[in-house]
Amino acid sequence: MLNVETLNLPNWADARAFVPELVMFGAFLAALLGDIIAKRRPWVPFAIVLFGAVTALSYAVAGLDIQAPAKILGDMVVVDGMSSFFRMLFALTAVVTVLFSWKSEEIMGPGREHKGEFYALIALMTGGMMVMAESTDLIMLYLSMELVSLTSYVMAGWMRGSLRSTEASLKYMIFGAMSSGIMLFGLSLIFGLTGSMTFEGIRAALSAGTVDPLALLTVTVLVLAGLGYKIAMVPFHFWAPDVYEGSPTPVAAFFSVGPKAAGFALMIRFFYTTLQPVVDQFDWPLMIAVLSVITMTVGNLSAVRQTNVKRILAYSSIAHVGYLLMAFLMLTEQGLQAILFYLFVYTLMNLGAFLFVTAVNNSLKSEHLADYAGLGFRSPWASVMMMIFLFSLTGVPPFAGFIGKFYLFAEVMRREWYWLAIVGVLNSVVSLYYYMKIARALYFDKAPEGAGAVPVPALQIFAMALLAVPTLLLGVMWGPLKGVADRAVAVIAGL
Amino acid sequence: MAADLVFYGFALLTVLAGCFVVFSRNVVHAGFALMFTLLGVAGLYAMLGADFLAVTQTVVYIGGILILVLFAVMMTRVPSQNAPRRGLDRMVPAGIFAVAIFALLYKVATGTSWPTATPGEALPTAKLIGVKLMTDAIFPFEFASLVLLVAMIGAAILIRERKVLPAEAPAEEAATEAPADEPEVTA
Amino acid sequence: MEVGLTHYLILAGALFLTGTAGVLTRRNSLIMFMSVEIMLSSVNIVFAAYSRASGDLSGHVFVLMNFAVAAAEAAIGLAILVEIFRLRRSVNVDDLNSLME
Repeated sequence: MLNVETLNLPNWADARAFVPELVMFGAFLAALLGDIIAKRRPWVPFAIVLFGAVTALSYAVAGLDIQAPAKILGDMVVVDGMSSFFRMLFALTAVVTVLFSWKSEEIMGPGREHKGEFYALIALMTGGMMVMAESTDLIMLYLSMELVSLTSYVMAGWMRGSLRSTEASLKYMIFGAMSSGIMLFGLSLIFGLTGSMTFEGIRAALSAGTVDPLALLTVTVLVLAGLGYKIAMVPFHFWAPDVYEGSPTPVAAFFSVGPKAAGFALMIRFFYTTLQPVVDQFDWPLMIAVLSVITMTVGNLSAVRQTNVKRILAYSSIAHVGYLLMAFLMLTEQGLQAILFYLFVYTLMNLGAFLFVTAVNNSLKSEHLADYAGLGFRSPWASVMMMIFLFSLTGVPPFAGFIGKFYLFAEVMRREWYWLAIVGVLNSVVSLYYYMKIARALYFDKAPEGAGAVPVPALQIFAMALLAVPTLLLGVMWGPLKGVADRAVAVIAGL
Repeated sequence: MAADLVFYGFALLTVLAGCFVVFSRNVVHAGFALMFTLLGVAGLYAMLGADFLAVTQTVVYIGGILILVLFAVMMTRVPSQNAPRRGLDRMVPAGIFAVAIFALLYKVATGTSWPTATPGEALPTAKLIGVKLMTDAIFPFEFASLVLLVAMIGAAILIRERKVLPAEAPAEEAATEAPADEPEVTA
Repeated sequence: MEVGLTHYLILAGALFLTGTAGVLTRRNSLIMFMSVEIMLSSVNIVFAAYSRASGDLSGHVFVLMNFAVAAAEAAIGLAILVEIFRLRRSVNVDDLNSLME
């Protein structure tokens, strides 16, 4: 007979630690219902999701000073410093994206459909990403990743009747399903090798040293294939430019930071927890170094040739994945601090740059660099903020991107991988070229005769300022964020 | 041994039907071959003592997913389905690559000491799985319902007939899409 | 030689590679989709085989979740496919070239 007392059942304490996720899932359901009840009033789901995201954000920020990791819900997820950090990141992304989409023609324009469901799915995806950052079990790793992926496939194909959007969605879906299949095969072998589904159990089995190095390398490569697809790591990056170009720009903006950061969170959680004891027993550092070099080089060199701003930003975001991978070399705590710091900064600046494209797209109806000529004078406020994002993405002082890159390179130098640092610096120089190509179009190219002003709604200016101001401030006062990142790493489960 | 022969029978059925799916030129045939693959897998579950999985595989996969696939096959039929085979140039490198990976997996499978308990007699698993799903694994179980919900909503969003609206078709899309290929949108 | 865990692993490996080869070489997105289903089945075999070998039922739970995800993926994937077919009258990925490059 079963005894209820001894069963591992969720309780109220679990729910209290799980508030941001519950709020996001609740907002998803409420927004769906609200959309049905209040037909043709898309502000209802908009308000519900915005309220939910702000609530989740405040809970996440309050949770930053967590004292000890808490395993909840049958040890399937863990709430610790790192999950609080990512909750904050994702809730912030959701708030900005929701605010911004409200005035975006591609979502809210006349004749667009499913306006309410759009916000609902943003809420669901945010909740899913939060769970991704907290999973400590292979089942939850897979399920949360699939929830986010499936939602992304739907959102990529959002513009019904647009061939580009549907095509992007199809490519994303087929290769996404394949890469998660590859990852699953790796996970099943891990379960076989270690006899455990939990990350901690896997870590214990691996550090006992019974696992054959060849088998370990094989499963690592398999798992890396699945996670690499989510973060758009070369050679699993090919979908990113097409999907970013084909999907509505607010969606592309969300994809370029949200699921990518969630993929990184999962990678951190999985590889740090499981592989740290055995990192020097197989060629992990070399593998990561090579992947990192290939990713940043391919990203940067491809970006140089592009003329579509969305595609430039897509390839640039691939290059940034390369920089982030550098800090995965030895799976050290300093590397993790650098990754978290950079991910936050990257979210601010990359989201901002994509939002500029959205804002301009509303009235310009074009994403081509040639059409951006003279925008600096046609929509001054947005362009100034775009310049901040571009400089920060390049990584020049005194912007936040510089500080982030500094910490990443410091970690590489500390581990004495000098050639990797040199390649990274060279890549940053290449990236200067194409970021400045956008800047030149904004300020130095002559606008065509009769081109009027390109108005950007106040709400969108506000949403961009939410990102631009921290990008500026963190460039000169990075201490608080660094403190938050260090603290997140200090209170982490399983290390 | 008889049980071994049954294993080899199911294994052969699964892999051969799988190869047929991958290499066949006719999508309908591929769909039916997929049924045999899935049946073979269900048989393997049964041999592994996973009775519940075998039944679920038959009901969910063959009864649900496969029917969905066949529907899609029928809905996307075009007259010249047996198009001349393209991609043979891709098959050769892919074949070599696959053999190399298989060699690696073979080495991993045979060269690794898998921690195993001596498998006892296979017991009915339905009750044990049920208890597990309601206790330890209750969160994944609930979470899977979200996955299914998003699938329902997503499929509805993606496939619902569009309303015809006068101020449609932004300029850049009209340029890239051949007008002849436009769907027949019904009001 | 008596059939054991290794046999199932090798079978799953062969099935997995069949599916992968299908996704990578075929250009009909329906066949690619079916190949993905074959890959998922191979994963399920590994989990089931391993659960049998170790007596740990977590593998079965994973397989069940995998069924759910596969069903969800089929619903969304085939919806996208049918939508592509409506727009383009083709499900061949080589014909999909409205995105640059």
